[in-house]
Amino acid sequence: MENNSVITINNLVKRFPVGGDFFTALKNIDLTLNKGEFTGLVGPSGSGKTTLLNIIGGLDSPTEGQISVLGHALNDTSHSKRALLRREHMGFIFQSYNLLPVYTVFENVELPLILNKVDSQKREEKVNQAIEWVGLSNKRDSRPAMLSGGECQRTAIARAIVHQPALVLADEPTANLDAENSHHIMKILSNLNQEMSTSFIFATHDEKIMAYLRRIIHLDDGQITEDEKIENPKASA
Amino acid sequence: MLFKIALKNLLGARLRTFLNVLVTAFSFFLILFMSAMYDGMLQHAKQVTMDTEIAGGAYWHPEYDPLDPLTFEDAHSVPPAAVQALVGEKKAFPVLVSQASIYPGGRIMPAIMKGIPPGQNIVNMPTDALSGHEEIALPVLIGKGMASDTKLEVGDVFTIRWLDADRTYDANEGTVVHIMDTENFKLDMGHIWIPLNKAQAMLAMEGEATYVTYEKGVPPVQNKRDWIPRDINYLVQDMEAIIEADKPGAQVMYMVLLALAAMGIFNAQVLSIFRRGREIGTLMAIGMTRSRVVGLFTLEGGLNAVLSAVVTLIVFGPILWYFGVYGIPLPIDYSEMGMIVAKRLIPVYTLGLVVSTTILVSIIVLIVSYIPSRRIARMKPTDALRGKVVA
Repeated sequence: MENNSVITINNLVKRFPVGGDFFTALKNIDLTLNKGEFTGLVGPSGSGKTTLLNIIGGLDSPTEGQISVLGHALNDTSHSKRALLRREHMGFIFQSYNLLPVYTVFENVELPLILNKVDSQKREEKVNQAIEWVGLSNKRDSRPAMLSGGECQRTAIARAIVHQPALVLADEPTANLDAENSHHIMKILSNLNQEMSTSFIFATHDEKIMAYLRRIIHLDDGQITEDEKIENPKASA
Repeated sequence: MLFKIALKNLLGARLRTFLNVLVTAFSFFLILFMSAMYDGMLQHAKQVTMDTEIAGGAYWHPEYDPLDPLTFEDAHSVPPAAVQALVGEKKAFPVLVSQASIYPGGRIMPAIMKGIPPGQNIVNMPTDALSGHEEIALPVLIGKGMASDTKLEVGDVFTIRWLDADRTYDANEGTVVHIMDTENFKLDMGHIWIPLNKAQAMLAMEGEATYVTYEKGVPPVQNKRDWIPRDINYLVQDMEAIIEADKPGAQVMYMVLLALAAMGIFNAQVLSIFRRGREIGTLMAIGMTRSRVVGLFTLEGGLNAVLSAVVTLIVFGPILWYFGVYGIPLPIDYSEMGMIVAKRLIPVYTLGLVVSTTILVSIIVLIVSYIPSRRIARMKPTDALRGKVVA
């Protein structure tokens, strides 16, 4: 089981300076996530879910404690090495999609492959495959401004998984979507999880997402209050 | 890879790129145009001086100093035989210079009286207007500026008084036979031109001259006695000194234009970084290092300069070409202000100017693109993702 671990967190603390004082966003977090897990960090606003997700993604650093992601101790890793780790092994999905507005769907999805220096023929192949997975083949030349919220998020998903990362981090991926689109997105992600063995971590307080999760980590006031394993999720692919 | 992304960003941003490029291209155009106008003005001044005054060079009487009228009294003799031979071959012409006083409309004015052969065609002066006036005692050619100062018109008669070789004052009535429209104020202001033979007779200096101007391409003569050869390089050195003295002014103008262009690009770049905070965060999140994001934005700025150069060529090129061919008419006659400025100013676009301007603008664009982009290096990806950009 230990060899299977994707994320190992020990006694992690994160404090932010606020005025002349500090606000403790995460307190003594201990956590292990294994390969292929479909996990949710669940809790109310301000509970520390996004902060934890950002630290796992190497976008932020812990104040105290140890964190190892995909075998890399992030505490001792430089900014550029963390960027390399994200580029090669991680995918991000954001609440507000964060698509580059001047790029088409194809170009947005292609970007991680360009950064990973994949040759153009292979790139086209992989991008088309990713776009097909999310059902946007007919929109590949559209710009984000011409897409609906659901289509934008599906583009973001395609971008996150196009390079077949080991870990996908999704921050409130359905917060801006209606119920139908939310279920659609979660079905896609759940399918991808099963087909690619990619580990998914969601930061969410959306009940619709929780119905798909196989592990729910409850956070409140920066602390893990419950770690729940679900054998048979209510919704399934 | 960065180049491809930068180009995609630049072309994809359409209106933003269009405005940035247009502003830079306009600055580019202004710098080129103003510098070319300035160069054109200076080259024109030099050319006019050579066409109307210097030709290929001159031999001066050893006492002659054009800046000191007191030397004129003694600066005359029969030119050396070798120089005279050039005159005989019509490859040179003599000029006799003297101080004089003129009395136009009853007023007294000092003047430099120059005797010149009416038939010379070595310098571009309408001296032939002095010939064929048998009925007139002393035909006089003056410039427009002099005519304006003295209120003389063609046909007007006025008294001229001079000191001859015997140190005797003498006077005669001069008649204005022509008013020349020259761009060289040095032939105009304070000058009266009369036929050489009349001047020699009036001054009792038969066969004498103060200097002899020769045409271009005439080799130096050997037997020139103590007369001093003054080649083109010497004779234009005053003009070059003026140009040199004027350089700091031109450089300031150049720098101001460049600074304006740089400020425009800097502003556009800062605005772009503020507006694109979330995009920067996204690029970092998907694995682009900070230094690469800085490089990307700097490269976008650099490509902006390249596009601007192309747009300048396409959009402003025809305008530059038009002015380069037809020039720009000036509303004022600057020769009356003691300046050699063409009535129609023609900008001169030298290869050096175009290349140096392109390189300089490109370097400045890169620098002003890089400076605001450095903020990105200080940015936390989490802040950037929220669109929060450090000031």
